[in-house]
Amino acid sequence: MSTSALHADHHTHDHHHKESFISKYVFSMDHKMISKQFLITGIIMGIVGMGMSLLFRLQLAWPDEQFGLLEMLLGKWAVDGKLDPNFYMGLVTIHGTIMVFYVLTAGLSGTFSNLLIPLQLGARDMASPFMNMLSYWFFFLSSVVLLISVGVETGPASGGWTVYPPLSALEKAMPGSGLGMTLWLVAIALFIISALLGGINYISTVLNQRTKGMSMNRMPLTIWAFFFTAILGLLSFPVLLGAALFLIFDRSFGTSFYLSDIFLEGVGALENVGGSPVLYQHLFWFLGHPEVYIILMPALGITSEVISTNARKPIFGYTAMVISLMGISVLSFIVWGHHMFITGMNPFLGSVFMILTLIIAVPSAVKAFNYLTTLWRGNLRFTPAMLFSIGLVSFFISGGLTGIYLGNAAMDIQLHDSYFVVAHFHLVMGSAAIFGMFAGIYHWFPRMYGRMMNNTLGYFHFWITFITAYLVFFPMHFMGLAGVPRRYYQFTLVEDFNVWMDVNKLITISAIVAGFAQILFLYNFFVSIFRGKKAEQNPWQSNTLEWTSPIDVRLHGNWPHELPTVYRGPYEYSRPDRESDFFPQNEEDPTAPEVLHVEEKEVAKEEAPVENSVFFAAIKRVFGLSR
Amino acid sequence: MKLTLPKNTFNSLTKKLLSLLVASIAITTSFAQAATDVIAPPQEFDPSGWNWLNILLCLLILLIVLVIARAFDIGSLAERITGKKIVSSHKVNGIIALVVLILGLIGVFWELSAHSKYLLLWDAASEHGESLDSMFMWTFGFTFFVFIVTEVLLFFFMFKYYYREDRKAAYFFHNNKLEVIWTIVPAIVLTFLVLRGFNVWTKITQTPNEDAQEIEVFAYQFGWKARYAGEDKKMGESSYVLISGTNPLGLAVDTEADKLTTTLTGEVAELEAKVAAADDSAKVWRAALDKMEATGLNKTYVSEHKALREKVLDAESGAYVRQMKKEIKRKETNLKRIAAFKSKPEIFNKESNDDRVTTEIVLVKNKPYMFRFRARDVIHSAYMPEFRAQMNCVPGMSTVFPFTPIKTTAEAKASKGNPNFEYYLYCNKICGAAHYNMKIKITVVGSESEYNTWLAAQAKMVAPAMEAVPATADSTAVSPAAVAAN
Amino acid sequence: MENISQKKVKDPAPLIAPFKMNLWLFMLASSMLFAAFVSAYIVARPDAEAKQLWTSFDLPIYFLYSLIISIVSSVTMQLATQAAKKDELARNKGLIAVTLLLSVLFCYSQYLGWSRMVMQDLTFVNARPEHISASYVWVITVLHFLHIIGGIILLAIAQVKAFRLEIHKKQITFMSITNTYWHFVGLLWFILYLFLYFAR
Repeated sequence: MSTSALHADHHTHDHHHKESFISKYVFSMDHKMISKQFLITGIIMGIVGMGMSLLFRLQLAWPDEQFGLLEMLLGKWAVDGKLDPNFYMGLVTIHGTIMVFYVLTAGLSGTFSNLLIPLQLGARDMASPFMNMLSYWFFFLSSVVLLISVGVETGPASGGWTVYPPLSALEKAMPGSGLGMTLWLVAIALFIISALLGGINYISTVLNQRTKGMSMNRMPLTIWAFFFTAILGLLSFPVLLGAALFLIFDRSFGTSFYLSDIFLEGVGALENVGGSPVLYQHLFWFLGHPEVYIILMPALGITSEVISTNARKPIFGYTAMVISLMGISVLSFIVWGHHMFITGMNPFLGSVFMILTLIIAVPSAVKAFNYLTTLWRGNLRFTPAMLFSIGLVSFFISGGLTGIYLGNAAMDIQLHDSYFVVAHFHLVMGSAAIFGMFAGIYHWFPRMYGRMMNNTLGYFHFWITFITAYLVFFPMHFMGLAGVPRRYYQFTLVEDFNVWMDVNKLITISAIVAGFAQILFLYNFFVSIFRGKKAEQNPWQSNTLEWTSPIDVRLHGNWPHELPTVYRGPYEYSRPDRESDFFPQNEEDPTAPEVLHVEEKEVAKEEAPVENSVFFAAIKRVFGLSR
Repeated sequence: MKLTLPKNTFNSLTKKLLSLLVASIAITTSFAQAATDVIAPPQEFDPSGWNWLNILLCLLILLIVLVIARAFDIGSLAERITGKKIVSSHKVNGIIALVVLILGLIGVFWELSAHSKYLLLWDAASEHGESLDSMFMWTFGFTFFVFIVTEVLLFFFMFKYYYREDRKAAYFFHNNKLEVIWTIVPAIVLTFLVLRGFNVWTKITQTPNEDAQEIEVFAYQFGWKARYAGEDKKMGESSYVLISGTNPLGLAVDTEADKLTTTLTGEVAELEAKVAAADDSAKVWRAALDKMEATGLNKTYVSEHKALREKVLDAESGAYVRQMKKEIKRKETNLKRIAAFKSKPEIFNKESNDDRVTTEIVLVKNKPYMFRFRARDVIHSAYMPEFRAQMNCVPGMSTVFPFTPIKTTAEAKASKGNPNFEYYLYCNKICGAAHYNMKIKITVVGSESEYNTWLAAQAKMVAPAMEAVPATADSTAVSPAAVAAN
Repeated sequence: MENISQKKVKDPAPLIAPFKMNLWLFMLASSMLFAAFVSAYIVARPDAEAKQLWTSFDLPIYFLYSLIISIVSSVTMQLATQAAKKDELARNKGLIAVTLLLSVLFCYSQYLGWSRMVMQDLTFVNARPEHISASYVWVITVLHFLHIIGGIILLAIAQVKAFRLEIHKKQITFMSITNTYWHFVGLLWFILYLFLYFAR
């Protein structure tokens, strides 16, 4: 007796009795509702995270100014309108934590994995809807705990988002290492549980729940990206849990995993000996580096989908895209040491990590070139989603190139923890991923809410955000090259850094403008939910399956009758043998070959079809999953 | 794109919001313009110094933005009336892309020209720094080329291939030759960079020759200390358990260890007395609390009342005694460890006695140094950007970084044209509230004799009775600044 | 919206039962957790050894007993599953009960092992500084113990199901999941024991 049959029955039963408000909107098990929950929570966390960045940018631009508003807002943390250094550190830490984990991991991957995996694969729901619901509520709980930690008496965790011990392990080392840090650890533990529950579900659904004809080589690149992302999360988050557990033991029980030979002002010599603070860094970055790709890969997947759809052109090098995603995933586990070149690690080990790190640039370069070639000779429809995707490609290139400097152990001596690093990761994983998220929101908003967002507002949102993002992060490279360290509360105490005051002002002003632009987005988003123009069934003339499920009703189970059958890959746009410029995956046409080979001088002539390539043969054999 | 929406409110609100946004952007941009106008030298924020041309420019931008918004608006209105497409948003965005590309390129080159003079790219103050800089320039050349080419292509494609209804996109989905090329070419370039980086890195991190002088740099919340070996040219042993007010680095010095032992023993006895009297103190505090509450003073002295209440609760629940006992245990462990150290003659061998702990680092030009880093409490990072040197300072772990300075402070002052210039070592790993103000001056002098004069002026850990007086006299006479000026 | 799907549709069955798939993925994740602890042990050891703050101590003999118990219980569990597959329900019930008993015995043996460690001053929070190795052993064994608790809960549910005749040839999923998980925790202990034994 297979549980799946029960499962299917369960769905059909569901539609017969009315759902209560609680089961429909709160403890919903419908993946579409859960994805909306992730999105809204992510947006709220994003507002908090961005607001925090504005607060500390204000401090950096006008360190001697007094802002009465700040005192009203923060009370004792901004006496006389001047931000407290401890709270500054807290803001930096919580900004990083929120952006990395809550917005760009849960908000991005949580939203779109949940929405798209079942819809694009032709599944009724996730493999385990209940776990999916749990995943959201753990995330929600985690967000609440983190937000509460900002308000505690001694301030939030303030050792940077990486919370290196001993600073984070010793309550007396700084105020934020007290209750705030405890709550941070609780929040992260909850978050890890949420991420694992979600990840297990995503992988299980992708491997197991694809509809008829949806072999893995016909999966949209979004799904590939979510799939690899989930695998990365599944393998790396437990390690962070381990690191956090050791930290909790050191903090609360008095063990010495990370602590050794410490004399603390006002306390004296501590008993702990024998531990290694560097051990934490190894464990943390074993998660930390894959985490970068956990953030970025869903954005890249979304971009592939949006660019191909709106360029009305097949994505260039589908196989190469998948292989590069896979290469990035594998490599991301063996490059964590490049965050630790100057911790005093064995120099030879440093060289190994340097070589591995620079190898990862190759699949990334392939991706960038493939995007460019997809745009080349396309017929580009500039929907806001398309613009944000192109913006992502731009950030991905500019931010990725600076990675070549930082991955080089020798240059990292100079650039480590300088503003160059801040510029690098804010472009390549911060801005790029958030642009991917915006692209996803604009593109699948009709799918989520059955209405359209306003395009004009979208254009303004894009161009302002794009330009200001460059204005914020581009000058930071130069500050880094001048030796300005990051996480400094103010620069006026060092004369050499004074020349950057004006640049700091420019950055802050640009950041504020960017903040205003996000109001535009929020307005567009929330008003369009209720007042937006009613969406057509397939507003972007896209090939993928999510647009075949009824758009105007919320249907738990996605398709009213049987599931769609897939006949070809997702990116068959502008085929010369078709009148319309798109060819949905589920449209049956026995006369049309799956892939059309066009005789053209740019196009190689005797290429084997994608699905016969060695790579896919291997995949099929390994998983035994071809249908 | 059409702006047709079911309710008019959305539209009018949109317009209001847009104009608000544009106004705020205009204001902030003019601030930004004003700020960038005074890029060098640093100046007070002064509106009278605004470049009015820039503000005019801002207004122009504002006008353009409004016109575009209006065009969209009128266009959509016309579209709604006629039911035909008039303004192609694709075309508008394509043109904006081209404009942004041109402005962006101008901005990039402006930035390069405006800021390059502040960058530390061409005058490394250390020997290995030069190879690092040349490597940087190679990488920069390569990445900047790729950056310009790809970004230009990206935005140019946006302009060239914007949507037109009568066009159909080319249908091709891969090209193995092309893909192989752009996999192999970056791979080759990266191999080149990796090999170069590997060489430089190995050269920097290899153990220097024997004659490199060792300097210990000690990090603590929030400051730095340096230690130089004395006449015996040997750094004495040290341990964190020996750290005290008079022995900030915890050097193995008999007198200091004895002093610390006495202090700790006294503290332990004091704590034990407190534990013994805990019951009585609890009663006394309880009485005081009751009295306070009875007289109503707790209403006026709220925080004192709260503190007292907590004290009483702690005392009565036994938390107070537990706390004391924990402290006693910690201090006794310390005492045991100090005793264990003291019993080792290879540690307490008087090598530390003539070591000099200083609040400034003085180096001699062209002399190889081996920096050894220690941290007292949390992780710090010793960052010397001018010397292209950085290494984390980790408690419980000794890290090293070797380098040879090749430029004196005086030379740097001259070449930078800044008479106030000094080399500094900054903290570059988040370490607490005053992280941003944790630095120590590095002075590079031209000759060994200058260095010797300075060193002689620094106090030894254990000052020999006879030499103590002239040494202190010297330290006032020869200030490091004077040494540097020589 | 509710009345859209009137007729019942038969969706294609997934290749693997979702619950089973999820279990496999969970086991993968928790293996990573132990991998993290084991690598932490390997990374931390040389540092501590250099400072003479690492004690090599023999694991309590009870941990070896636990290992033997877990191997035996894996065998009984396998037999129980096979019995269920053959619809030999009485045998199945009995063997689950034996496994359950063995699992409790395992816990007791672990408890004795820990007591022995405490007697030797090898506490979690180091009584002596050079006993940091003991902290690692504690973390690894206790975390494994938590996995065992999960297994015992599964076993208990299987036992109840067996008594309610909810486990038989045609309804084998839960049994096989419990079986897989029990083998997993057994294997985990096998590997961890060997690691702690040889890397002590």
